[in-house]
Amino acid sequence: MSNNHSLGSAGVNRRALLSGTAAVLASPFVLSSARAEAAPVNVGVIMPLSGPNAQFGINSRNGIELVADEINTAGGIAELGGARINLVVADATSTPTTAGTVAQRLITQQDMTAVLGAFVSSLTIAISEVTERRDIPLLTMSFADQITGRGYKNIFQVVAKASVIGKAQFEYTAAIAQAAGARIEKIAIMYEDTAYGTAQANGLRAGAKAANVEIVMDDAYPLGITDTTPLINKLRGSGAQAVFPVSYLNDSLLIIRTMRQQKLTIPAIGGAAGYVIPDFEKGLGEFAENVLSIDTSNYDLAPQLTERFRKRFGYFMVHEALEHAVCLEVLVQAIRKAKSAKAEDVAAALRGAKFTGGWINGMTGGAVQFDQTGLNVLSVPLMVQWRGKDIVTVWPKDIAKSAPVWRS
Amino acid sequence: MSFLQAILDGLLIGGVYAVISIGLTLVYGVMGIVNFAQAEFLTIGMFTAWFAWAFLGLDPVLAAPLSFAVAFAIGWVVQGQLIARVLAAPSVAQIFLTVGLLIVIENGSLLLFGSQFRSVTTSYQTMSLSLGPLFISIPYLIAFAMSLACGVALWWFMRASWFGRAMRATAQNPAAAKLMGIDTALMYKMAFALGVGLTAFGGAVILPYVTVYPGVGGQFVVLMFTVVVLGGLGSVAGAVVGGLAVGVIQSLSSLFFPIQLQNLVLFIVFILVLAVRPQGLVGASR
Repeated sequence: MSNNHSLGSAGVNRRALLSGTAAVLASPFVLSSARAEAAPVNVGVIMPLSGPNAQFGINSRNGIELVADEINTAGGIAELGGARINLVVADATSTPTTAGTVAQRLITQQDMTAVLGAFVSSLTIAISEVTERRDIPLLTMSFADQITGRGYKNIFQVVAKASVIGKAQFEYTAAIAQAAGARIEKIAIMYEDTAYGTAQANGLRAGAKAANVEIVMDDAYPLGITDTTPLINKLRGSGAQAVFPVSYLNDSLLIIRTMRQQKLTIPAIGGAAGYVIPDFEKGLGEFAENVLSIDTSNYDLAPQLTERFRKRFGYFMVHEALEHAVCLEVLVQAIRKAKSAKAEDVAAALRGAKFTGGWINGMTGGAVQFDQTGLNVLSVPLMVQWRGKDIVTVWPKDIAKSAPVWRS
Repeated sequence: MSFLQAILDGLLIGGVYAVISIGLTLVYGVMGIVNFAQAEFLTIGMFTAWFAWAFLGLDPVLAAPLSFAVAFAIGWVVQGQLIARVLAAPSVAQIFLTVGLLIVIENGSLLLFGSQFRSVTTSYQTMSLSLGPLFISIPYLIAFAMSLACGVALWWFMRASWFGRAMRATAQNPAAAKLMGIDTALMYKMAFALGVGLTAFGGAVILPYVTVYPGVGGQFVVLMFTVVVLGGLGSVAGAVVGGLAVGVIQSLSSLFFPIQLQNLVLFIVFILVLAVRPQGLVGASR
């Protein structure tokens, strides 16, 4: 049956790819037929636009489109004679093998300056194998350590690595609990078993170990899980004082709902992804209130920028949208610096330099600088907490917008 | 105690597996066709209930009859216009038709509704009953009760009503049934529509704890086939036994193994059962 399904989604890819391509190809013509045309800069955008992770792909695409439209309306890239940014959007689906194929096709069909994508770490890893072979820079906000851990030359990760994020997820929580006079001795970890969940769980384990905290439950579960009752049964029996679930959307809703059913009120500290998008609050209502989550950036750190997103799309600028906006900002700055849209020139300009200003103001660290592996060394994770329909930065103290609430 | 809890959870989940799989077994039992698109009617049922909740404010459980009706109507047309043409055709043609239907429905809903997840919010979603140290999840309990009611209604329909008897007669011997004045084409339409309607009904009652998106059927399709083959393809009682068995096996396995191995354990049991009883647990009593 799995064959039938991949057959089904292959049809969607092609259609989504075609219509997406047609739409973005058409828009510059409509906008700019009057001026003498500089060759547009092609930027591939490969995102999961169907399947279980589609919502994140759509959010990411929205962020990128916002920045591209703003640059194009302001006259394009002056250093290249007003060249416009031409986004070529493709659906990676939620399957890594398809993501690789889609990347291959995209690069073969058109000259690409760079590729942005693909939120889901396992998809990004699949795409990076293609872009690395073809020497095209890939800018990403995926978390997994593997992304910059393989010695690739053409990959650029704008956020901290999953192991660092996982460690912070534990350490910030311990610090918040301590500030409230509580002490955590036993914790539970549950994570979906793809590249992202596995890597972040490693970080959590390392953090707990360093603090001499006992991990009383440590369970992976498959992506697309439809029943989390066994996990929560186990959690209830484990005696954990806090639970650290690392999950995308569907599983995060299931976990919190099942916990409430079983009257488990221990704090849940999410691992970004499903815990920091509006759908989380939509699905849980009052039960979302005060849920903590680790994150890599938050819209309240740069409200003057992120309000533009809310105005256009009607919901707060989720971190994947913001960080993908940063990816494009960094890319455009590198193009300006290189005065070239050639992939290898841009990759050279990306390495080592420090990027500031524009959308980069939304990042922790206030700047982006890649080391030789392509990792942004300035990004630090932060902790957010749900307040009504918004998430608020509550830790570390120096950037917090509000004090954390801790109920053990 | 965790053992009892696991059995309880497994039975509650298994009841729903049973009702979504009865449709598959019913269609096979009456017409001898394996409907690969069956799980897509689960998606249709879930979307119907979601829209009823979002726009009419109807609780998904109350919207279940509506889901049933929508899928019943679609099934009626599909049987009359498409499947009827391949009833006598080689089974390859039948497989192609239902697999094609699967692709059309999945991508059609992707086109119409988009790929995002939709979840309902109900008051009982986060409630449970305490039975001593045991927890009974309210949404699971409601889904189970609705499935049970649906199963009993079907049982009564098949046993006691004229239509049910005529349908069983058609299943046993279409030629003889025709000679007795039974409109077999009508019976086929009825069986197919009823089958997909039941699956859609199951889709609506699980909506409080499963989010809906166009590919959600894919999460259940393998389970549905396991349920009916485990119980005995074509047997309604078999689907009930199979559904409960699958639920309990999944739930118990997660006591001893990581939850990722849930389906591995299920399929090992599945293979063993088939090795000993190829006709399934209940056998081929149609």
